[in-house]
Amino acid sequence: MSKEKKNIGKMLLGTWDTKTVVGVAIGAALFAVLMNYGGIRVFTNTSLTTAMIVVPIVAGLFGPLPAALVAGLGNVLADLIGGWGFWFDWSIGNFFMGLFIGLLPVYGAKIEDGIFQVKHMIGYVISVLVGNLVGFGLVTPLLTFLFYSHELTITWAQAFSAIVSNGIVEIVIGIPVLLLLAKRNAKKNNLSTED
Amino acid sequence: MDLNKRLFINIIPGNTFLDKLSGTTKVRLFIALVILLVVTWDVRIIWPALVVAIIGLVSIKPNKKLVLGLIGFVTLMNLFNLFLVWVVMPDSGADIVGASTVLFRFSERYVVTAETLWYFMVRFTKFMATFMISITFIQSITPSEMAAGLYSVKIPYKVATMVSIAFRYIPEISRDFGDIKISMQARGMELDPKKTSLFERLKQNVVILVPLIIVSFDRVGNIANAMDLRGYGRGKTRTYYSEHEETPNDRKMKVVYLLLYVAVIAVIIGRIFFPGEFEIWAPWI
Repeated sequence: MSKEKKNIGKMLLGTWDTKTVVGVAIGAALFAVLMNYGGIRVFTNTSLTTAMIVVPIVAGLFGPLPAALVAGLGNVLADLIGGWGFWFDWSIGNFFMGLFIGLLPVYGAKIEDGIFQVKHMIGYVISVLVGNLVGFGLVTPLLTFLFYSHELTITWAQAFSAIVSNGIVEIVIGIPVLLLLAKRNAKKNNLSTED
Repeated sequence: MDLNKRLFINIIPGNTFLDKLSGTTKVRLFIALVILLVVTWDVRIIWPALVVAIIGLVSIKPNKKLVLGLIGFVTLMNLFNLFLVWVVMPDSGADIVGASTVLFRFSERYVVTAETLWYFMVRFTKFMATFMISITFIQSITPSEMAAGLYSVKIPYKVATMVSIAFRYIPEISRDFGDIKISMQARGMELDPKKTSLFERLKQNVVILVPLIIVSFDRVGNIANAMDLRGYGRGKTRTYYSEHEETPNDRKMKVVYLLLYVAVIAVIIGRIFFPGEFEIWAPWI
């Protein structure tokens, strides 16, 4: 088995074959549905939603950019069917959050090969925290300020509840789900590919 | 609201005026209207847009009971959101509209002002207009036309495919969600929010989630194989079977959406270079 290092740029983009396209599409649909039904409302338009679990799963399966697209597109689709208006500032915030959470393969956690150990968990927790802070603490308020300046007070309150509730969901439920997926894949994977 | 009925899409195009437009026209018109409604807070633009949205919605002859139920549901949700906004910022009208004429006073902090109500009314109509335009769009477009339309605005075709597949599978996934929920209830899971604690409810949502994720991602392989077998992703560009030639109606609507884009640009320029003292216009200020 060759252990050549893939360059980071390629890791960030992921491989764009048909499977990725469909995976992201299904992930985004799942995200939109869960955002509408699978949540407990915390504050206006923010809830303790299980949709956030889809992001680390897609990240584990396909990589950072697909995860970011799932979060961003999923949020736009959720807005489309939800009826609370379009909030592109939040969709873009979600995109950045997804990008950070999707860094899984960059620090060596390979869900597909069943590799997800304690150090990867720590990396995951850090990426979740940084991703949420950058996404909702920085990008979203900045865009809100540009798009709808007066909504900023609401956005700060929403951002706070979003960071807390997303963080809880992504860490408390995300880690066991990722572990489960890694375990499931590890069992299948006792063969190595020949070059 | 019944989950299956709430998310409904068309696979076969209908035969009303809007249905017969090409995917390109539909998508461009929709994007123009949505962006206009995102950037503006002026009631003089929002109300005409609301009227247009209602006319559009009536013109596609949707299932009346369904649409009225949906609108009722969304109205309640938006009113609840407004109530939460009021709890956080009781006197939001002062900053946004520019005055506070007190109508009621509950306490030192909790007041109801005419300006806040005006702001809430603008906000409410803005979201209702957006929502009605969204339903009209969803009801008058097929997934394939959506992909074609998105491709026509220079979005990479893989992303266009992504959006159309996601759109196509939303009803399917929400149906699975409903089925799993019902089967969990049949096994004795308590899903009534009044009878369970917050933590318990979160746990139950996860219990529903696990089979839903497995079922959904199991589809990925099948769909991807079917697409690969048909040669998806070979070429650098793509054409769409569902996309027809421009009809005279398409040409008329082209004028409409071009005017809308001009309006969007005008609103954005106005907001950047000539910002008013207050965000929302009110007739008495």
